[in-house]
Amino acid sequence: MSASIEAPATFRHAAGEQGPIGLVREGITDLWSRRRLVRYLVQADMRKRGADTILGNLWWVIDPLLQMLVYVLFVTILSRGKGVDDYPLYIFACILPWKWFSAAVGDAAVSVVSQQQLIKQIAFPKIVLPVSSATAGVVGFLFGLIPLAGIMLFYPNRISPFLLLIPLIAFVQYVYTLGFALMVSAGNVFFRDLGNVLQHMLRLWWFVSPGLYSLSTLDDVGIFKSHEWLRILVSLNPFAVLFEAYRKVIYGSADNGGSLPGWPDFTSLGLLFLGSLVFLAVTIIMFKRLEPNFAKVL
Amino acid sequence: MRFANEPPPIHRTGNPDAIRVQDMGVRYDLRFNRKTKIRTSIGQMLGRGAAHQFWALKDVSMRLVQGESLAVIGPNGAGKSTLLQVLAGIIRPSAGFIEVRGHVSGLLTLGAGFDVDLTGRDNILLGGAFLGLDDAVTRRLLPSIVEYAELGEFIDAPLKTYSSGMRARLGFAIATSVDPDILLLDEVLATGDAAFREKSKARVIEIVKAAKGVVLVTHDMNWVTEYCNRAILLERGRVILEGEPADVVALHQEHMAEAHAAQTQMAEKAGIDPRIVLRR
Repeated sequence: MSASIEAPATFRHAAGEQGPIGLVREGITDLWSRRRLVRYLVQADMRKRGADTILGNLWWVIDPLLQMLVYVLFVTILSRGKGVDDYPLYIFACILPWKWFSAAVGDAAVSVVSQQQLIKQIAFPKIVLPVSSATAGVVGFLFGLIPLAGIMLFYPNRISPFLLLIPLIAFVQYVYTLGFALMVSAGNVFFRDLGNVLQHMLRLWWFVSPGLYSLSTLDDVGIFKSHEWLRILVSLNPFAVLFEAYRKVIYGSADNGGSLPGWPDFTSLGLLFLGSLVFLAVTIIMFKRLEPNFAKVL
Repeated sequence: MRFANEPPPIHRTGNPDAIRVQDMGVRYDLRFNRKTKIRTSIGQMLGRGAAHQFWALKDVSMRLVQGESLAVIGPNGAGKSTLLQVLAGIIRPSAGFIEVRGHVSGLLTLGAGFDVDLTGRDNILLGGAFLGLDDAVTRRLLPSIVEYAELGEFIDAPLKTYSSGMRARLGFAIATSVDPDILLLDEVLATGDAAFREKSKARVIEIVKAAKGVVLVTHDMNWVTEYCNRAILLERGRVILEGEPADVVALHQEHMAEAHAAQTQMAEKAGIDPRIVLRR
């Protein structure tokens, strides 16, 4: 029987803690040995979203489109029509990845807490729960590429081979999202109001990230002239890097009269990737340290 | 009668221990519980940082020999369920160590982890994946689970359309589909309707007989004396006595009677009708 079981048969638990490298290795082994569980959890998530709604999985397509429509109306009125060219595509390039991130983080926050009954009754690596939430978001993102393709048809001059770089940027975002998902899922076990705080934080985060505007817009406004430190703060925002990269390959640029899609800034993207890997390692360590206490607190 | 610090009985010649627990303790941090909020914690941090700790288990040493059936008895809050959680690998000890040889499994409370939006079939596959069963095994077991739970064509309907009896049967069928080396039982027999309880009891006895070792937490003293070769009495997180089931049960009942008498006395002293106090 033991051969047909994915969980380790024999274990030895002693008081005391493992070193950080051991914890990271353990986290990765946990995920690899339970990859089928992750797959099932992602599938279950998809199926649940599809059921119970009139339009089913169509919501994946409609939702970002509606959000785009709201912002387009809103910003066009505010800018008295003197806005950016092809603005719908300009913001859709950022709405799509942001929806993925905010949905994944929101789901991850409750992923551990909502399985409390199971956690108290069977031993399984809890790390699969936030990882599944973050991964389910990827599927939503892929669905979102359908309306993106639809919008692109309205702007045929912006269709370019640079679109093929989307998966690369998305991968960097995935690594960062994983780390964030691990952090909030473990945190929410100990502080149950973290989810509420998070909702507000995410809303604020979206507006301070250059999604509806670009970083150069901030220069035009002159906000950096009086507060130079703000520039550093803004450039430390992972979504400043990600949004600028997505926009560059999907839309191009609206600065200096505008330009068509081109290469993203690989230096900042590469730095973000390295930073995200470190962040992910730190959050795995944190998660594994806290994991033994989940069953006691829940 | 043997006391806990003496070596446990049982002829263990050449038979490796299935479970070994040494000076094990489990500490709970009372600062964190399911109701902790950031706001209250900041308040606590600013306030006095008193040590909010509680040892649910302390200095517990025990072993389970292959082929043995061990009962863990004791009053409520003695740490029995915590001990099972440690043996299942769910909680790590805060002191000492435990060693488990072979695949451990407990019988889940019926329906733990069910997702009501998913179909019965999806729940079985997901449940199997959580239990760590191989996919092929789960799929092979699927027909027998469906049959045992008497689900019929409901297997492809979402769980929220099930009656509570159907859910209970499905939960039990999934839980008992595992074939563990060491079985952990925590009062699982008290669920479901009368007819199903009979059926489930028969199945549990079957699994108990097939397992290479059983640890059982129960308040049913008849079960202890009938099916177990050894028993442990836990009180306030400590092992009070380990030995023959009949001896351990006798001491437990003696202690319970004492506690009962003390409570009655206290209630009478306070001028309260003892029946009110004892009903709790």
